[in-house]
Amino acid sequence: MIFLFACISAFALDFDPDGRLIMSLGGEVSVVNPVLSTDTTSSAIEGVIFNGLVKVDKNLNFIPDLAKSWKVSRNGLTWTFNLRRDVAWHDGAPFTADDVKFTFDTILNPKVNSVRRGDYIIDGKPIKFKVVNRYTVQAILPKPFSPFLTSASMGILPRHILNGKELDMSDFNRHPIGTGPFIFIEYKAGDHVLVKRNPKYYAGSPKLKEILFKIIPDENTALVALRSGSIDETGIPPKDFHPIKHVNLYKYDALLYTYLGFNLKSPKFSDVRVRQALSYAVNRKQLIGLIFMGLASPAYSPCAPVSWAYSDDVHKYEYDAQKAKELLKQAGVKDLEFTVLVNQGNKEREKAAAILQQQFDKIGVKMNIRVLEWSALLKIINARKDPKDFDAVIIGWSTGVDPDSYSIWHSSQYPGGLNFIGYSDPRVDKMLDAGRREQSKAGRKGIYAKMYKEITNDAPYVFLWYPNVLAGVRNRVGGLSEPGPAGLFMDIEKVYIKK
Amino acid sequence: MRKFILRRFIQLIPLLIGISLITFFVMHMAPGDPTALFADPSIKPEELARIRVNWGLDKPVIVQYFIWLKNAAKLDFGYSYISGKPVVEEIFERLPATVLLMSISFFLILLISIPVGVISAVKKGSVFDNLFTVVSFIFMSIPSFWLALIFMLVFSLKLGWFPPFGNIVLPCAVMVISGLAGITRYQRASMLEVLNQEYIKVARAKGLPEYLVIYKHALRNSLIPIVTMLGLSLPDLFGGAFIIETIFAWPGMGRLGVSAVFSRNYPVIMGITVFTAVLIVFGNLLADIGYAIVDPRIRYAEKK
Repeated sequence: MIFLFACISAFALDFDPDGRLIMSLGGEVSVVNPVLSTDTTSSAIEGVIFNGLVKVDKNLNFIPDLAKSWKVSRNGLTWTFNLRRDVAWHDGAPFTADDVKFTFDTILNPKVNSVRRGDYIIDGKPIKFKVVNRYTVQAILPKPFSPFLTSASMGILPRHILNGKELDMSDFNRHPIGTGPFIFIEYKAGDHVLVKRNPKYYAGSPKLKEILFKIIPDENTALVALRSGSIDETGIPPKDFHPIKHVNLYKYDALLYTYLGFNLKSPKFSDVRVRQALSYAVNRKQLIGLIFMGLASPAYSPCAPVSWAYSDDVHKYEYDAQKAKELLKQAGVKDLEFTVLVNQGNKEREKAAAILQQQFDKIGVKMNIRVLEWSALLKIINARKDPKDFDAVIIGWSTGVDPDSYSIWHSSQYPGGLNFIGYSDPRVDKMLDAGRREQSKAGRKGIYAKMYKEITNDAPYVFLWYPNVLAGVRNRVGGLSEPGPAGLFMDIEKVYIKK
Repeated sequence: MRKFILRRFIQLIPLLIGISLITFFVMHMAPGDPTALFADPSIKPEELARIRVNWGLDKPVIVQYFIWLKNAAKLDFGYSYISGKPVVEEIFERLPATVLLMSISFFLILLISIPVGVISAVKKGSVFDNLFTVVSFIFMSIPSFWLALIFMLVFSLKLGWFPPFGNIVLPCAVMVISGLAGITRYQRASMLEVLNQEYIKVARAKGLPEYLVIYKHALRNSLIPIVTMLGLSLPDLFGGAFIIETIFAWPGMGRLGVSAVFSRNYPVIMGITVFTAVLIVFGNLLADIGYAIVDPRIRYAEKK
């Protein structure tokens, strides 16, 4: 025991106090402001500069961040957050409950272009935020809403800097000030963002001196840079996922799934047997082998296996061409022909369309492929009309930490919402409402398990695959978190460069 | 001359209105709108509708255009939808990187291609000429993205001479190689044409040494088409090269423009369009002035 302890402390001293981690970003940085940004590139930087009231751990449970603790009133309407008293903004000002109220009130201001506003409005009524005292803040909900902690993980903004300013055009978005482990230094447009250690970080001074986020839009370039040691970390496409000298490779699951969605308002897909037949006709093993060299998992349900709500008890349509043909025959469908939309530039989905075309051909169904630019595709499926002008689409969902999928499946979310396939099942609607009301995790898990079974029975989507995240990190980097949906750099203050 | 330049600048105004009008309408006719980029299951469509109203996209396109035109007349090109930065600032942030890369590449291209073109023309049919004809066609046919990746693999990864990004040598080398052939061929063709002119025969007949015939009489006249080419390339100099900038992670204008188009970032698209249009007109003007300098027969004289 003593020996083990000695080992750990000797190891801990082994880091370079002047270490600079170089991370790659696949796209341009838009705004370094958690309330405004919508791209993953910007959120990667916000993650080291800002803190929320709560954050997620590696098992996707909510744990304290700026809030030391919280409790929910018995009626589920009042959430009281107890804030840390030892937190300061990067400019030295103390962090207080006023900052929290300011942040959420800003999001709720309709003049601010935050797409997150809707997360703080339940059934048309906004959540109210109340400062109880300097270190206590309350959120008062119009009705019980168990996914609320997801909204409480929003990065908190400094009131003393932003109060009365126009947030969208503020210079703050390029010179952010947060409470997080790293302090912003510079942002050179299109090139890089540099941050330095915050020695006064509440959870202890980070081991890294600096992090350089280098913008490398081309994935081949990023890979060359990782091999040559110019960067420490990057995502790796499946075809290149082979051992690299001085690089550790990681493969982990994410909260994502890809599917083929049917326009249920089209007479072609109104019969459930037709949808089930097409689900049986898909050979997922072949699909994953050809597209991902096996580096993805077959999907059968609208919930990724890493989510705590995942349930295996669903209707699985394992590949069975014979059954598919029988179902089509029973439905009296002959010469089915439809067109699938795929977004241009997404190589995986384009390949999937070509493979599915052949797989469907084997059961006598003709699928045409229409490749469209991303925003053109969204315009078609999000058009506010009924019925919409498409037969089917290959697309994916990134589902977020909370399993609430109201916006995807609830009948009220058509034609104006994200339920663009027009799914409508009164039992599923009820379960979605119940899942939002129920406070206990076990209770919600039970509700969602039943719901997934119901949805898979209706086969509104052909679930295709769960992508794996593939990443490489130079072996000079230590202190990474266990690979999981929250990423490898979850505890960034513990990451270090080996001596 | 002064009148000529002034007239050109006045012509610029209707031209810019025309260009901006067409761009504005074509841009709005393209499917999709700027908020479509925010698609994510947790974002509600009402939010996107609200943001569209905040951006003024709920008004008829013609009204939006006149609002834009009114502001543009005051040199206010608005704010980028994505970064919230003034468009002018966005463009000027990216300009230095592009101008650096492009001007060095242009300079090197001229430095190599003019002598090569002249020698090829003078020694037409020689080994040198044939060799460079073949080389030119090879360079012209190599896709620049492929060459860029090969250079990166060889010089960054295998030899370790240059880092894969942040260094100007590799992107510049690719630009030069892919741009070399065009100008070399032009120079060769125009030199050949000049060498067949009567006055060259006269120069030779009066016994001038060959080097004087070529450098004093032929070269200067053969440069006229090259000057036009240069003037017309001015927009490229500032517009950047999208593929090269993307592969070598070079923070230039090319990437800004293409990402603005993909994200339907209307104010940035309009800003870049106007900027490029001004450059094109300005480039043509420079070419005309350049003509007058190299060709004494051309004069923009005032009417007598």
